[in-house]
Amino acid sequence: MREKTRLSTILLLIPGAGFIFIFLSAAIIMTILQSLGLFSITRASRFSLEYWQTLFDREVIDSLLFSLKVGLGSSLGTLLFSYPLALFMRKRFFGRQSLGSLLKIPIFVPALVAAFLIINLIAFHGIVNYLLQALGIIHEPLRMLRDKFGWGVLFIQVWKNTPFQLLIISSSLETIRTDIEDAAMNLGAGKLALLRHIILPLSIPGILVAVILVFIMTFGDYAITKVAGPVYPISLSIRMHTTATMFQEWNRAAGIGVIIIVVSLLFVWLYSRLARFLQGSM
Amino acid sequence: MAQQVKPHYRIVEQRRRAFRTTLVVFFILVQLVWIGVPMLMAVLWSLVNPDYPWSYPQVFPSHLSFYQWNYVFKFTDIVRAIATSYSVAPSATFLTFLLALPTAYILGRRKFPGREAIKILILLPIIMPGMVVALFLSRVFSFIGLDQNFFGLILGHTLMAMPYMLRILTTSFEAIPQDIIDAAENLGAGSFVKFTEIFIPMVLPGLFAGTIFSFITSLEEFNLTFVMGTPTFETIPTILFAFLGYHFIRTNAAVVALILMIPNITMLFIAERFLKTQYLAAALGKM
Repeated sequence: MREKTRLSTILLLIPGAGFIFIFLSAAIIMTILQSLGLFSITRASRFSLEYWQTLFDREVIDSLLFSLKVGLGSSLGTLLFSYPLALFMRKRFFGRQSLGSLLKIPIFVPALVAAFLIINLIAFHGIVNYLLQALGIIHEPLRMLRDKFGWGVLFIQVWKNTPFQLLIISSSLETIRTDIEDAAMNLGAGKLALLRHIILPLSIPGILVAVILVFIMTFGDYAITKVAGPVYPISLSIRMHTTATMFQEWNRAAGIGVIIIVVSLLFVWLYSRLARFLQGSM
Repeated sequence: MAQQVKPHYRIVEQRRRAFRTTLVVFFILVQLVWIGVPMLMAVLWSLVNPDYPWSYPQVFPSHLSFYQWNYVFKFTDIVRAIATSYSVAPSATFLTFLLALPTAYILGRRKFPGREAIKILILLPIIMPGMVVALFLSRVFSFIGLDQNFFGLILGHTLMAMPYMLRILTTSFEAIPQDIIDAAENLGAGSFVKFTEIFIPMVLPGLFAGTIFSFITSLEEFNLTFVMGTPTFETIPTILFAFLGYHFIRTNAAVVALILMIPNITMLFIAERFLKTQYLAAALGKM
């Protein structure tokens, strides 16, 4: 009977989890093997490390640094908006429900549409420059789109990801029991002390998940950076795509793909380490 | 003195309440600008009349028309792209549902070693960098003849939609109280009756939420479609990308952006209307 249950468990897991496992591992294995010269399309297939030896040139390093900057900038920049919002949304007030639905809209706006919406605002003759000029803060329009730093990309990512982080942080704030807060208040804690000593420490796991997820999504981004990012440096994903489809150097592109995967996994690992460290079990 | 003097604490309380209300109103206004202005700009750009161009320093266009909508529908590939998008999305959603149902049942109702690991595995399509997966899955597909292929496209979209469907359905299965199942068994219900009378009705809201999420994920999927579909198959996002990237035509992009965005937001509000936020949290929230 037990054997039978185990068998049925495995069989029923295959359609959903097996599907994901097979397709993802096929893609990842293909990336690794191609970066080692196997399954080559445009050249002779043979095992070699030459693609790895020549991978880290100026362009790839610049792309890596740019992607890291965009990833960290967007995940932390989004937090500046989402955390105060999450604290604010904890309270009960009139119109909370409708404010909540309004806030969630950007999650359902596809990335490219979000890019387009924000491009309209921050374009050279866009409404933001217009307002800043009308208020006399600047005299010349600012270049925020396709600028060297990547402000345009950061704006779009923050706009798009704020509600996503808000949702994660809110659900972690909900788990803080109100009696802890009441106890602190009874012992004479003010609002600030409450935030610093109770709410902030208890919401750190949620904050970490929110930051790490947005980091991974923005670090490997293709579409938004392609549309609003600088001409040079380009993000790692764009570099990979161009290397593969424009220059037909698939093995080199696979190497860049491995870098993207490894950096993403590294950050997930760092997150789990940090989370355990902060919970004191290390 | 006829009028009674208000006690001090009353005044403080009143002022604080007023302050809080002002803060809330201010916040709602900020949000309206934050979300509303970008949307309004897109609508206005899609209605620009080409005879009266909207250019700096005009704040609003002086004339509006539906010229741009006509133009996009007449002279671009948008009709075909809409047809492709709206045939891939339901097919991928249906396939996702068929594949996810048994797995979600096991994940939600049975305890077995490795369950937590599998729950993390099913999140990977969201977490893995999209362009890497797209590029090298397309290489795998080209070996088995699924690159530039309609069925390959559906398989790819299914992969991307699977995490949402699985997570939402798993939470719905988990939420069924064991008492009800025990009671039904005591009353003599067999597997089939249990399934049709308990499981299906109780996961129905989750199924609805999962379907909406899968549908939206497929509609807005870009990386995979761009790599494995173009130029044979264009969907709405790849058309929008072309308008934003290769030849930036703002008015056309505005029309396509609205075509892509309006159904999504409508579905969000339908989902909000009928479902509790717990499904949203299940799909996107706690990891």
